Amino acid sequence: MSAIAAKPAADAGAFRPVASIIAIILAIVLVVIAYFLGNFNLLPGGGVFAIKTLGLIILGAALIAFGVHFVPVGGAPAAMGQAPGIATGVAMLATGAGLAGLFGGAWAAEFGLAVSLVGGAIGGGLMMAITCLMVNMSYVFGMGIPPASGKVEKDPLTGYTQPEFKSQGTEGHGLPFISYVGGVIGGLLGGLGGTLIYYELLEFYNAALPGAGFIFDFVPLSVGIAGIVAVGMFLVIAVLSAYNITGTIEGPHDPKFKRFPRAIVAAILASAACGLVAMLVVMIL
Amino acid sequence: MSVKVEASAGGVPHNTVMIIGALIALVSLYIGIAGNYLLGIDWFAVFGGIAVIGALVWGNSTIKKLCSYGIGTGVPSAGMLAFGAGTAAFIAASAIFCGFAFGIWLVPILTLVLALILGLIFGWIANSVENMKIPVMTRSIAELSAVGAIALAGFALLATGGVDLLSISSAGFIGLDVGSSFLGAGIIAVGFMLGALALQHPFNACLGPGEKQDRTNMLALECGFLSMIVMAVISFVFVSPIAGWISLIVAVLGWIITYAKYVKLSKRDAAAWLDATPFEDKEE
Repeated sequence: MSAIAAKPAADAGAFRPVASIIAIILAIVLVVIAYFLGNFNLLPGGGVFAIKTLGLIILGAALIAFGVHFVPVGGAPAAMGQAPGIATGVAMLATGAGLAGLFGGAWAAEFGLAVSLVGGAIGGGLMMAITCLMVNMSYVFGMGIPPASGKVEKDPLTGYTQPEFKSQGTEGHGLPFISYVGGVIGGLLGGLGGTLIYYELLEFYNAALPGAGFIFDFVPLSVGIAGIVAVGMFLVIAVLSAYNITGTIEGPHDPKFKRFPRAIVAAILASAACGLVAMLVVMIL
Repeated sequence: MSVKVEASAGGVPHNTVMIIGALIALVSLYIGIAGNYLLGIDWFAVFGGIAVIGALVWGNSTIKKLCSYGIGTGVPSAGMLAFGAGTAAFIAASAIFCGFAFGIWLVPILTLVLALILGLIFGWIANSVENMKIPVMTRSIAELSAVGAIALAGFALLATGGVDLLSISSAGFIGLDVGSSFLGAGIIAVGFMLGALALQHPFNACLGPGEKQDRTNMLALECGFLSMIVMAVISFVFVSPIAGWISLIVAVLGWIITYAKYVKLSKRDAAAWLDATPFEDKEE
């Protein structure tokens, strides 16, 4: 059904300045609301702590939205060897990479922010590196097709020419080197952003739950809430970025990559709203 | 982008399905809460599962409406977005008025309101900032967020017998620590995935030229009961054995009935039906 209708309109890639400015203003309003909630002691830790938490959540979301655009997503055409990329949707792929990173970072959370972030980034990047390698193995040795890009004449990194390896009637196939590198970068950024969101929420809940009346061993609770909210927020950002790409992308050399500012604006507002609601969990009334 | 492919021409209008689904979900949640907090017995946990099913029928109709326009990323992404937005809304709603005696009664309504607000923001982002230009986008994403949040509330009620932060963060019946609770042990993540898959699967499986509304809805019911079985098994940790058995038996019976009906409807709509048997390697 979507294959019939997925013809992008002429200005599908255009930046929408008015809507974007409204979105940024709304996000700032939400941050200010968080500041006042903190200042009036409705949120624990004061206004500056609330702004720091929400600000870093927004930064993490922006990293995720940017990272999603690097991942080579092929969708159904790629499964038939008719388009380059990994043969599944953006949401699944970004989720796989991001959650692998998030779990990696979450295990390292007790060693501090830096170790946790590096662990998350490496987890996500490793996941994408393995996925891309195995996808290319099955393309080359299983389906018998060489990796070739349909969007560029030469691979921007290696300089290898592409058109003579491209089958007629296809948009390219397999994962050329630039797509592979894009996938790994996307995994790194996604894992980094996801871990940042998780870590900030965990710090916030750890600081807040004792004030909300939880005097017993509350750490598993804050880990549980921060984990599932970070996963949920990751999925929201990944799906909104997928809507921005509208389906498939080859990697950083694809013309659709230039749409990423819109996704970052979208992620800023979406994560501000989602993050504020997540912070309300420990609101003191 | 906005080329519409008509799904389920004729049939019950979306608004009717939406109202019926939302009413079933909210009323079931309140029956469950009333049973547990007024009568003091947790046998009514089974109504959490009914709430999930009501929400899924509503969400299934919404997904059908949204995905009639090509959104380019596949139907599953909508289910993931719904539950992603619903998670934060449900946890916040369960916690905000937790300190008050009347707090538990506000949870379902607050869940609905918070999720609708989040969904409206996300839908507006997708439609305006990201330029998708799908007429039903904003409303659909708002509805889907509400569906995700209410389904999670239903799973919480089914598993623990309550929907407020105290019930979902305590390990209840067996008396384990907070690390074994609905939130602390990550059982909400199981609910997340069960719900997201049950939400996106029916239309994803039935879409196409021969799509019929009653068959898709029957698959939604079947997926709902199937997820209810898993959550009913989990609920033995948190609720009394009788409540757990009631939930499990209702879920299994419901699943058997809806699955049989779904197969019958599939046979009705199929051009031809072949009861396939496993391949046998024949010596040649």
